[in-house]
Amino acid sequence: MEPLLQAINLTKSFGGLVAVDNVSVDIYPGEGVGLVGDNGAGKSTLIKMVSGVYQPNDGEIRFEGKTVAFSGPREARDMGIETIYQDLALAENLDAPANIFLGREMKRAYLGGAINTLDRNKMRDEAIKVLARLDIRIPSLSQQIRNLSGGQRQSVAIARTIYWNAKMVIMDEPTAALGVSEQRKVLKLVRTLAEQGVPVIIISHNMQDVFAVSDRIVVMRRGMKVGELTAAKSTPDEVVSLMVGAEAVHEMGVIPKALNGVTE
Amino acid sequence: MTNTTEVQAEQIVKPEKQKRNRRENLERIRQVWPWVFFVVLVAGFSVASKQMNDVNFISYRSVQGILEYATQILLIALAETFIIISAGIDLSVGWTLGFSSVIAAEVMQNLHAAGYSPFVTVSLGMLGGILVAIAPGFCNGFLVARVKVPSFIATLGMGILVEGVALLISGGYPVAKQPPYLGALGNGYVVRYWPEHGFYFFKMPAEATVADLPKIIPILPNIVLVALIVTFVCWFILAKTQFGQHLYAIGGNFEAAVRAGIPTSRTLIKVYILASVLAGIAGVIWAARFTSGAYNGGETTPMMAIAAVVIGGASLFGGEGKITGTIVGSLIIATIQYGLVVLGVSPFYQYVAVGIVLILAVIVDQFGRTLGR
Repeated sequence: MEPLLQAINLTKSFGGLVAVDNVSVDIYPGEGVGLVGDNGAGKSTLIKMVSGVYQPNDGEIRFEGKTVAFSGPREARDMGIETIYQDLALAENLDAPANIFLGREMKRAYLGGAINTLDRNKMRDEAIKVLARLDIRIPSLSQQIRNLSGGQRQSVAIARTIYWNAKMVIMDEPTAALGVSEQRKVLKLVRTLAEQGVPVIIISHNMQDVFAVSDRIVVMRRGMKVGELTAAKSTPDEVVSLMVGAEAVHEMGVIPKALNGVTE
Repeated sequence: MTNTTEVQAEQIVKPEKQKRNRRENLERIRQVWPWVFFVVLVAGFSVASKQMNDVNFISYRSVQGILEYATQILLIALAETFIIISAGIDLSVGWTLGFSSVIAAEVMQNLHAAGYSPFVTVSLGMLGGILVAIAPGFCNGFLVARVKVPSFIATLGMGILVEGVALLISGGYPVAKQPPYLGALGNGYVVRYWPEHGFYFFKMPAEATVADLPKIIPILPNIVLVALIVTFVCWFILAKTQFGQHLYAIGGNFEAAVRAGIPTSRTLIKVYILASVLAGIAGVIWAARFTSGAYNGGETTPMMAIAAVVIGGASLFGGEGKITGTIVGSLIIATIQYGLVVLGVSPFYQYVAVGIVLILAVIVDQFGRTLGR
């Protein structure tokens, strides 16, 4: 199978600091890829190059077989690479359909286009369709988003990217602010996405999350890719030792205390 | 399709349902209480005026009186509704009102003196008065959207500037010597009913003598008709168009609006122009009512208008507010003003009363929000 996205030898430095050093990653349709690494390992920088926020100093990005150079996040999004950040960027005072269609509202034309009104019914119907497709349940479509739970809001953000034909979704710490049962729902949703052919790159500190949704796990350390594991054939300990450096684990004989919460 | 998802949703979220119902009820209370308050207020004035003056407060005349009182506040409050929803405030609209009245009056004074027909004179004057309001609106919007000046400061400065320009043009005097037609328009009625003679539209019955005047029943002041039409248009813009939706998004989460690709700068510039044009309409109405233009015609209106908008349930943090809320907020303030006149007590009490109602409104709003969490 052809990879959807190929990042080839990407390098990005800020002044003297090399944040990402010669990293290559392939993303295939329909897979979940966990991107892990300690703080400052270069995960975010790598993702920001793929989503068009940063421009690489060196290397190449191929999307759907073609070399692309994004001058901004807007271009990446237009090509179908959607990034969902922790803050979700939803208008909390509007309802779910309004958020899904934010900035791209459906309209009805009257008097030959002289007067345009919002087509709320159609947006609502479409919202129901996309929510059903992703098996998302929301108590009321006419509720302001602020009255929904964190997981439901997360789901709305995901539904929005899907409705607008995201070909690939990047999620930055999607479960960070959620309760346990909510986390599970969001992870299930990520799986659903991947199964429907939309690859998901998930950045997370939580090994449980990463293993729950990933087919492959890419480990970064000090700007370099230090490992690429098949999730089914590896263990959280293995991943953590790659994250912090095998020597470190070896030296201490145990998993460092600071990572205890992460690995359990 | 619709039903299955809804039904599934209902089943899944039972535990959350009670909380949700409470929230929805609170939401409803927040929207309904100004109307309840309005009814209580009218009832209070009815009892008081019966007791004190033996006058029936609820009458045909009061309704028309209150609507007339409400017109100017309502027009400025509509302007503030749009701005407040976008998470801004416009302190300049009162001065823009005066500026527009001065420009309209100047144009009409000159055309009238030059011997143009009343219709041409008044039409061009009003058009001029409304069009000049675009300038301060554009400046406000540009400063807020592009230069990122806080709206409070941008519109404060623009208001003072506009006041100065209006003073320079008018010399500080009312711009009088207007065509008589203007006053007839500004203080006239859409329909007049003269029993045993019939209905007269936009005109006094020509054959009526001074003795007949008390018999003629005026129905619907012209300015109220204008206010109703403008209000309907505003409601349509806010509730039904993409522009209105974008305003709510900008006021609710500016960052999200930007990231969703909403043209935030253009939308903000448009909304400040819209607010100024509404002030311009209020200005030419002022000129028509008082057959003159005065730089300070709307001096105190914005504060009352902002109070009306907040009483109507809008949030000064942006993203919340409805035209219906603004209508009831304006009616409450107009009723207080008119009611105090009917009671014959000092009209200065209106400020005390409106102040209390405003603070009460904010307390009710915050109470509702805390409970809703």
